Amino acid sequence: MNTTRALVPVAWGMLWIARAPLEHEMALHMAVQLPLLIGVGYMLATFLRPYEPRWFAESDWLGIPGLLLVVFATSFWMLPRMLDLALSEPWIDSAKFASLPLLAGLPLGSSWPRMPGLGRAFLWANFIPKLGAIGGLYLAAPTRLCAYYRLDQQAAAGIALIAVAIVLGTCWSVIVFVGSPPFWSRAGIRRQRARHEILEAGE
Amino acid sequence: MTGIEAVGSRSRINATAAVRAYLATCGIVLLLMMLLGLTMRLAQAQWIDVEPNLFYVVMTMHGAGMVGIAGLGGAAVMWHFVRRYVPVSTAIFVANLVFFLIGAALILGAGFIGGFAGAWTFLYPLPGHSGGLWSANGAAAYMAGLLVIGVGFLLLHLDIARGIISIYGGLGAGLGVKQAFGFAPEKDGPPPAVAAATMAAISNVIGIVVGAVVLILSLVNLYAPSFTFNTLAAKNLIYYFGHTFINVTIYMAVIAVYEILPVYTHRAWKTNRVFYLAWVLSTLMVLTVYPHHLLMDFAMPTSILVAGQIISWLSGLPVLLVTAFGALTNVYRSGLKWDAAAGLVFMGVAGWAIGIIPAVADGTIPVNSVMHNTQWVPGHFHTYLLLGMMAMMLGFMTYLAGPKSPSHLAPAGVWLYLIGGTTFVLAFLAAGSASVPRRYAVHLPAWLAYDRAGSIGASLAVAGALILIVRFLVSLRSPIDATP
Repeated sequence: MNTTRALVPVAWGMLWIARAPLEHEMALHMAVQLPLLIGVGYMLATFLRPYEPRWFAESDWLGIPGLLLVVFATSFWMLPRMLDLALSEPWIDSAKFASLPLLAGLPLGSSWPRMPGLGRAFLWANFIPKLGAIGGLYLAAPTRLCAYYRLDQQAAAGIALIAVAIVLGTCWSVIVFVGSPPFWSRAGIRRQRARHEILEAGE
Repeated sequence: MTGIEAVGSRSRINATAAVRAYLATCGIVLLLMMLLGLTMRLAQAQWIDVEPNLFYVVMTMHGAGMVGIAGLGGAAVMWHFVRRYVPVSTAIFVANLVFFLIGAALILGAGFIGGFAGAWTFLYPLPGHSGGLWSANGAAAYMAGLLVIGVGFLLLHLDIARGIISIYGGLGAGLGVKQAFGFAPEKDGPPPAVAAATMAAISNVIGIVVGAVVLILSLVNLYAPSFTFNTLAAKNLIYYFGHTFINVTIYMAVIAVYEILPVYTHRAWKTNRVFYLAWVLSTLMVLTVYPHHLLMDFAMPTSILVAGQIISWLSGLPVLLVTAFGALTNVYRSGLKWDAAAGLVFMGVAGWAIGIIPAVADGTIPVNSVMHNTQWVPGHFHTYLLLGMMAMMLGFMTYLAGPKSPSHLAPAGVWLYLIGGTTFVLAFLAAGSASVPRRYAVHLPAWLAYDRAGSIGASLAVAGALILIVRFLVSLRSPIDATP
């Protein structure tokens, strides 16, 4: 457990060290560095959850305040102007390294389990197509959106975002279609029969 | 109380009251939208005078309103019956109605205050190029209204999908994939209502999120015209959303056939491998058939258009065949005592089946290039929406009203609706075959005979719907427990 905990500062530190190569390409900056920074915060949340004050958990009703914070924080760092500033101003880059784990990853990790399944599905259903749409816009935009990235780097970022959207969409569709355990497996059939029996018993 | 109701009854809102609220909303809005449609036909017939600018506002509101109310009515039918088999949230069901009413208010404001007249399909870049007829705010209110309505439907379908997954393990099992491909006994398959609701959830979730993407892009374009995107891609996205949404209304409403007819015939609706296979195939085809709306777009890749033509020939057939055949065998020699509800539901299957024929004709590329901009198209979609989908919804409404409501008027309502509706759609189809264009506010003298026949038919259909809807509204005075 302690080794796993140590992963958080190590990962944070490694991302800081690797920031130059990751920020060199727009695709790596958007599709690798930003999600990994959020991932660091998410890991942190799993360790901090047992120490979470009760009032804090109760005030985060259904995880909505926390996830709203996630949406605002991630939207802020998706703005092309902020990507530019992160490249040109070291203190803005530092703010990104602090805010994405603490204002996006950490609330995501703590609020996501509190959100009902329907809310999670709603967020996935909105996030995946919008990611694809943003990728499409980067790909199709005739002008540069960031001053520090070339047009071809912008197109590569668009392709990367579309690819991520396709992978996420495919995984999500397969999971909800097949179920867990898969509906064709013996375990899946047993589960279905068990549910039928519960329902029939209730009638 | 069934096990499902025990699971799903945490909400304090009464489920039957919620269904009644849906149907009351559907009934009132349906009548208003029918009156808007009648106004257009009377104006084309030159029996009343409507300014062309106002005509296109009315056309936009009629289109958007009818699509919305078909969705809402289909959702009411689906939710009422599917909650017998899976746990669903009444609060989410009511939230969808609230979202719908907010969205409808925005859309009506966009049309009648903001003057938006860009047709219900809001084809990019038309909303931003009004020629001074409407403002950016008017177009934005229309699109924001669609977005709000979409949020409600997305939540509803996701909630039903969640319920299906909680009972069946996955949407594949809810659709009956195992039974369709022989992996499991037919007797263990989901009830027809669950298979249909699964199909609706899969199709509409994908369709709605695609629609949301193009709506947001169009909204950005309205206020930042320098931001543009590919018009053909936008048209593809719009029709992916639009076709899927309106098509799914029928698949939701058909649950009324599966659930109501057996009550009258005292025979369970039999499901088998072919039934489940039909639903699986129709799900795949509903998700891929939309290119038949783009057969006139020369820039579309030919392969996609050919695929669109072939799939549009096949798309509706599997479920239609098993439903029509199932309805006939369910009714045949059952000793069924016909009344308004059974008649309307049965009429719905017939209207749907007949409406497919002109649709298949229009889905053929050489025919489409001649017929698509004629009244043939409103002819075909009114056939399976007015005489198919809406007949099923009115049948459900009449069924819920029960025998306590004044019943002697109901058969008159059914006959007026049937005769008027048939006359109305035949006038459209005949006009289309004579190359009368659609979406024209002003008609030539040679076209007036079709318009006048259509106006008479529309008047009768409105009268029939009025009787059936008022009868339902009167029934709302009876206690909720009396509802079947």
